[in-house]
Amino acid sequence: MSFSYLLRRVITSVPTVFFVVFVVFIAIHLVPGDVVDMMLGTQNYLTQEQINQLYRQYGLDKPLIVQFGVWLKNLFTLDFGTSLRTGKKVIDLIFDRFPVTLELSILSMVFASAIGIPLGIVAAIKKDSFVDGLVRVVGLIGLSSPSFWVGAILIVIFSGTFKGFNIFGFVHIHEDFLRNLQVMFLPALTLGLMLAAQIMRMARSSMLDVLQQEYIRTAKAKGVSYSKLIGKHALKNALIPIVTLSGIQLGYLLAGTIVIENMFALPGLGRLLLQAVNERDYPVIQFVVMFIAMLIVILNILVDFIYTLIDPRVELK
Amino acid sequence: MNRTLKKFLRKPLNIISIVLIILIVILAIFPSRFTPHNPYSMDYDAFLEGPSLKHIFGTDQFGRDIFSRCLYGLQKSVIIAFSSILLASSIGTILGLIAGYYGGLWDLIIMRICDGFFAFPSLILALFIVALFGSNLLNLIIAIGVVYVPIFARTVRGAALSVRESLFVKASKVIGKSSLKIMFSDVLLNLSSVMIVTFTTNLSTAFLTEASLGFLGLSVPPPEPTLGGLVGQGTAFLISAPWIALFPGFVIAVVVLTLNILGDGLRDVLDPKNK
Repeated sequence: MSFSYLLRRVITSVPTVFFVVFVVFIAIHLVPGDVVDMMLGTQNYLTQEQINQLYRQYGLDKPLIVQFGVWLKNLFTLDFGTSLRTGKKVIDLIFDRFPVTLELSILSMVFASAIGIPLGIVAAIKKDSFVDGLVRVVGLIGLSSPSFWVGAILIVIFSGTFKGFNIFGFVHIHEDFLRNLQVMFLPALTLGLMLAAQIMRMARSSMLDVLQQEYIRTAKAKGVSYSKLIGKHALKNALIPIVTLSGIQLGYLLAGTIVIENMFALPGLGRLLLQAVNERDYPVIQFVVMFIAMLIVILNILVDFIYTLIDPRVELK
Repeated sequence: MNRTLKKFLRKPLNIISIVLIILIVILAIFPSRFTPHNPYSMDYDAFLEGPSLKHIFGTDQFGRDIFSRCLYGLQKSVIIAFSSILLASSIGTILGLIAGYYGGLWDLIIMRICDGFFAFPSLILALFIVALFGSNLLNLIIAIGVVYVPIFARTVRGAALSVRESLFVKASKVIGKSSLKIMFSDVLLNLSSVMIVTFTTNLSTAFLTEASLGFLGLSVPPPEPTLGGLVGQGTAFLISAPWIALFPGFVIAVVVLTLNILGDGLRDVLDPKNK
């Protein structure tokens, strides 16, 4: 049953995927000037015939609808074109950079869950206590602080107190595992703290919701011990919305990595994207943006699917 | 309405947020009245100087006063965030009303497009638009505005769907009011509390989006100061002169926190679910 749900969910995402592809395609054509203009830049020693040849080479002499067809065909064959600046294949660049972003995202998620879920649950159990108030205030402040500011504060604190700690100087995980973790620590903590604020708020309200349910009262009435009541009966159900939120946050996380990667000089997708933006390397911009959007569509499907697995009550429509 | 206002003002936190918002607006409209120095002029006797009575937020590597630059940056950020949400709420509301009130094919098309936009994280979509069309004030307002259109469209649609079935809308139909009139007078009027809450909460995230673009160097180009841009330039001096980055970041956090408190407070009194 779950499988047919998954299939249906995939099929209903097709229009969204098509829309994303169309938007990214059309956006480039709305830009004043075209790829050839960009490549030429200020060089004007080419003859008109040579310029026309460039247009033919890039298929820019054909009608827009034909160009869109070619674009779709290229996507299906994973031909993402080449960077205008480095001449490297865009798909290679993406796969080169993506592992760094993925590692950063996973580590931040670990920090965020480890901080956010327990605090939110404690706040809910001790509702209206001092701890609850503190959690709510800190959560609101965390929600309001820009990640780069939190990162800056952490850098100032760490560089002052831990002299030997490597904040910068990225190495890949397969080159030097420990050093990689050390360099990843602050960026992941920064991003994790931002996320923790949201997860904490969600965990609190979700747990409060569950604690008001009748079955909890029933369990209390029949004498289930407090720790069992919270740990077994309440927590399991409270986790459902938290998982959903965490899934939705993964998209937010990908956006957050742009800022954090550039702040901590990590060679991930976000840094690739900003570099491409600064160099006006349009094929790279296009495909990184599309890659991220596709990733989010896939993640949303997966989150919905996991949702049906942990909560059998979810109707599989 | 009067009762709602009383209820809102009963919480001290709400009053503080209102006072702060008024203060922020005044500072943003008249920065020159409050800045002790010209935000562009360089003080050759004070490079990278820490906070003092003369420069309360310190100075940057060119001897420019950080406090003055913060206030001018605040002005830019407030203009961009407010205009983009104004744009997004107008377009989003119209789309949401059409989708929710007429339903059918309109609903399907508009909501599918919104779904498509939701696949892009807001910062990435805004960055994409700015990267393609260049970063000037108008483009930034449009880029951030586009990001928030689907949020307003979806919220208004949901609310319009429920209002559509209510008795007074049916009554308006019976007495022969045109659809357009019903939509904009009866339905919209009933959505005003939802709109106010959505406007405030999204204003805070739009402010953060602009700040992030500024940090990445993609907001209004220098020498114009923006709050995010000030933090971005300051990160190079975090060890030797941390005030350059930390004070503008603090200003961003205060503005966003104020908007969030205000949004929460408004939701408490306006959201029918909480009554």
